[in-house]
Amino acid sequence: MASTVIGAGITIEGEIATDEDIVIAGTVRGKLSAKESVTIEHGATVEADVTGGSLVVGGALTGNVTAQERVDLQSGARVIGNVKAARVTIADGAQFKGSVDMDV
Amino acid sequence: MAQTRTTASGARDGAEARIGSAARVRGRIQGDGNLVIEGHVEGNVTLRGDLTIAEGATVTSEAVAAHAVVIAGSLEGNVAATGPVRLAASARVRGDLQGSAVVLEDGARFSGKLDSEFDLPPELGGASQGEARGRASDAKSARR
Repeated sequence: MASTVIGAGITIEGEIATDEDIVIAGTVRGKLSAKESVTIEHGATVEADVTGGSLVVGGALTGNVTAQERVDLQSGARVIGNVKAARVTIADGAQFKGSVDMDV
Repeated sequence: MAQTRTTASGARDGAEARIGSAARVRGRIQGDGNLVIEGHVEGNVTLRGDLTIAEGATVTSEAVAAHAVVIAGSLEGNVAATGPVRLAASARVRGDLQGSAVVLEDGARFSGKLDSEFDLPPELGGASQGEARGRASDAKSARR
């Protein structure tokens, strides 16, 4: 169970920062940063720049992403933005528009 | 004791939306569901469900609107609840409270105005006003 959960009915406009992990099933507009994992669930809408330890996207994300470890775009994800992480996976069925920077 | 039960179920259901103790939110939060705040929030909160401000949480807000509200942490701002408002013993609140009922537990620290909807006894001449407000609050809960 994540320490911070933004439920499906919740909208946050502004800035969210946490030292732990976060799961988003609702809507976030603004800026999002977590020290640990960030999970954007299927059905969630995020319009924000995201930084985290690792990121899993199953929903819609518009914004630039920087992860310390990895970014996984799952089937059904819809991502517009640039992704920067050492390890990136894009599953079959994920929509992605932007650039990937693995720092090679 | 009805308020206590509301509280407990609110906290359970609110597990779906929770701002953890290490989290900090600056901005506007709105939603249909319940929310538990354990961390730090600066900004207005508008919910159709229940709001719990847990012990250790700090909320700074111009306006907090929700159904039932339970405060065990610290809140600076006004609360407009369609349901009951309960300040637990650990609560520290500066602001005005409005709700269908307001409960201050022993130990809660509060400074502000209280506005609770209830029927004044007829000898105080508040019956008609009390009824009108009662109906207004029924209409709100019917919409939910």
